[in-house]
Amino acid sequence: MNRYLPIASLTLMLFGCRFKNEDRREHQQRIVCLSKQYSEILYALGAERDLVAVDLSSTYPPEIKSLPTVGYHRALSAEGIASVKPTLILHDNNVGPEHVMRQLEELKIPMKVFDAKGVDIPTAKELVSEMGRYFHREARAESLNQKLDLDMGKAFARTHAYSTKPKVLVIHFGRAMNTYLTITRASTAGKMIEWAGGQIPIPGERGMIQLSPEVIASADPDVILLTDFGYDRLGSPEQVTTLPGVDTTRAAKKRRIHRVEEHDLVYIGPRTGENVLKLQELIHAGEATR
Amino acid sequence: MPAKPLASPYAGIIPILTIALVVIAAFSIRFGAVAIDFNEIASAVAKGWSAPDSLDLVERIFVEIRLPRALACIFVGASLAMGGVLMQALFRNPIVEPGLVGTSSGAAFGASLYFVLGAVLKFHAGPWTLPIAACLGGGAATACVFLISETAAVNRESTTGLLLIGIAVNALFLSGVGFLSYIARDPQARSITFWSLGTLSGANWRAVLVLGIATTVGLVIALRYARQLNALMMGEDEALYLGVHVGRLKLAIIAVNVMIVAVATSITGIISFVGLIVPHLLRLMRGSDNRFLLIGSVFLGAILLTLADIVARLVLKPAELPIGIVTSAVGAPVFIMLLRSRRYRF
Amino acid sequence: MQVDGPKIRQGGTRMLCVDQVTHRAGKKPLVDRVSANFESGQLNLVIGPNGAGKSTLIKLLSGQLRAEAGTIAYDSMDVRSMTYRELAKIRAVLSQNIEISFPLRVWEVVMMGRYPHFVGRPGAADERACEEVMRFFDVSDMADRDYLTLSGGEKQRVHFARVLAQIWFSVSGKSRYLFLDEPLTFLDIYYQFEFMGKLQELLKVGDLVVVGVVHDLNLAARFADSILLLHQGKVLACGSKAEVLTRENIQTAFRLEPALLRTDDGTMHLVFE
Repeated sequence: MNRYLPIASLTLMLFGCRFKNEDRREHQQRIVCLSKQYSEILYALGAERDLVAVDLSSTYPPEIKSLPTVGYHRALSAEGIASVKPTLILHDNNVGPEHVMRQLEELKIPMKVFDAKGVDIPTAKELVSEMGRYFHREARAESLNQKLDLDMGKAFARTHAYSTKPKVLVIHFGRAMNTYLTITRASTAGKMIEWAGGQIPIPGERGMIQLSPEVIASADPDVILLTDFGYDRLGSPEQVTTLPGVDTTRAAKKRRIHRVEEHDLVYIGPRTGENVLKLQELIHAGEATR
Repeated sequence: MPAKPLASPYAGIIPILTIALVVIAAFSIRFGAVAIDFNEIASAVAKGWSAPDSLDLVERIFVEIRLPRALACIFVGASLAMGGVLMQALFRNPIVEPGLVGTSSGAAFGASLYFVLGAVLKFHAGPWTLPIAACLGGGAATACVFLISETAAVNRESTTGLLLIGIAVNALFLSGVGFLSYIARDPQARSITFWSLGTLSGANWRAVLVLGIATTVGLVIALRYARQLNALMMGEDEALYLGVHVGRLKLAIIAVNVMIVAVATSITGIISFVGLIVPHLLRLMRGSDNRFLLIGSVFLGAILLTLADIVARLVLKPAELPIGIVTSAVGAPVFIMLLRSRRYRF
Repeated sequence: MQVDGPKIRQGGTRMLCVDQVTHRAGKKPLVDRVSANFESGQLNLVIGPNGAGKSTLIKLLSGQLRAEAGTIAYDSMDVRSMTYRELAKIRAVLSQNIEISFPLRVWEVVMMGRYPHFVGRPGAADERACEEVMRFFDVSDMADRDYLTLSGGEKQRVHFARVLAQIWFSVSGKSRYLFLDEPLTFLDIYYQFEFMGKLQELLKVGDLVVVGVVHDLNLAARFADSILLLHQGKVLACGSKAEVLTRENIQTAFRLEPALLRTDDGTMHLVFE
């Protein structure tokens, strides 16, 4: 992903017309949230009243798009953030460039990183609880975690009921020059696919890796999931099946190509349980259970 | 026709450029993502000296971010423009800039090595480590270009050969930067890639100090060689006949160029076209005397880069456009105009 | 005879003495044990076929190249003992084709000739030299024009002015040396003759040593006071026109036999069929 940063940030900037949004509400605190994971949890906890601006990649829930944005979380500007007059900045240490964080510290704006990292189900629940305590919404946090447990329980049960483990490829298509950015086993989405009863045939250390059409073809997945950006660009499953490398796969032949929202896959949050269930249906569509 | 002393036709331009710089610098510190009016600026400056802890947020923005950035812009613009004058004089070709002979890409490589390996190597010289790494990288790349061109079968007078070697060395070092950014772990990777398009956002007071020293020293040394560079315009042989020690001149000019451009690149990343456009504009204004060009480039380079930075900061407020994009967007058409112009001969 | 300035040699003429000068490129000698004396106040021309070593010889004489063997002395001062800066004050070189890629005013180009003589701003003497030399070569009207807009011939005249400006005044009574490396190539015949005429005028002062390389044998025949004929790096003949420009010498050097004609005014012409 790193190499595409400049291009990605530019594209996002140009299409993220949310720069012109203004916020006219009254606030006691002015919170800027630079993590899409935290943003979603804030809204889920009902604690979004004091949120004044978010980063560009915070796109869930839909109402968040009406808030002003301070830019792509890896291409921030200290002055830009300071211009919304924040009293608190929330981030998850995944922000850049580095000097911006230093500058914000020099400006003496309070910043908070939550201890729980939210990279799997247990830590995600801890994160929700921690944020619940921080915003005095403990009850809501508890109910969110219970729902998560419930949904994940259902998902695991069904996974054991299925007899096969289909090979699934999740592809970000077209972000930069029609390349196949494919999600690996090590990523969050990879874990979700595993929970849903599929397997990702792509190993790797990083979350995403660029693959050539040949590798896609030789991986020969049963199901291909395309993220919203690429899918919408191509328009229809038929278009997707014509792509080089994809056209020879089993997935293309059986027309098992589906659209998924990127923000459902890249981090663990309160809706992950639901999302895993949805994934299960996509992956195992038409299969009989034991 | 009485021969005019060299000073007079150029005298009018410098005061105009100075005034323009002051006006544009004022604009730059006044406007940005955060609006700061002049009262706040005044109080920020007053408090900044006497009681730095009592600054409020806006004043702190001014003192910690806005003001150092404006100064860094001036020094970087000056350095890049001066580098352009020097390289064009050295290669006797108006389409050359420090980026083309390897200095910028080498500096970027040196800085990237520092970002990625800096934790591993124990070498540290405080705030000077990064500029030193960049200078070493820039020096290595420029030395490659220089040595290959001197020893290869390329005709020594051929600027085309030199430029081709520059292109090859650039490609080599830029691929090094690309490779480093590919293997780098976060958070270093975030630094490298964001910075390869050039940005002033990393400017702080330490950077301003380093830049100020490098730029001033560079200017002083370069001015000493200004007349020799004039003589060099007619060719190495002619310069020699006029008493210029051409070998020494080349080394001195390359060293100054590496120092000022590498230090600037280490702080802002690669910014292109400034070194190309500024000397061209100055020649259109008055002429090619290198003393005028060097002094003029300090001002005009500062002006143009400050303007570019204002655009970069305001056009997508509150986010920032990398400044390299603005300079390229303006510089590329000017470059094409240059190529088509009959004024110069290549 | 001129007696201005210090007496260098018996008889008061100043001289450029070349003694057994050799210079090689790899194994092959470009200039092979060449000896000659070039006197001031007369037009010394060097001729020879391609590859004879003429350019190399001029580069050696001007101090640009260092001879591997032999000595070159400006009025008994060894060329090697002088720095580039010192040399630049007393000797100037006019080359064939000088390419300038940047816009410069004509007077700026001419003033560059005075660089060896001032630090910082040019002095009154420098400005006077430029003024006089531009008038002498008829480029005063172009003083403010952009050099790049001039024709080839005009550009060459500007360089004449610049080069002569460099040695317009003698320094500490020393001789002045002017080397010409085929400077007439781009001039039409009118300007060729005009330049040679101007040279002869300049030579009247007496402390100027001129050594020039020309291609055109008839120019040499018309204007030279002494000729050096080079062949394969060696001196084939040296002396007056009559001594050097013989059928045998030309045949040996240029592999073509000329017909020698004399016009009414006594000028010799070489005609090749």
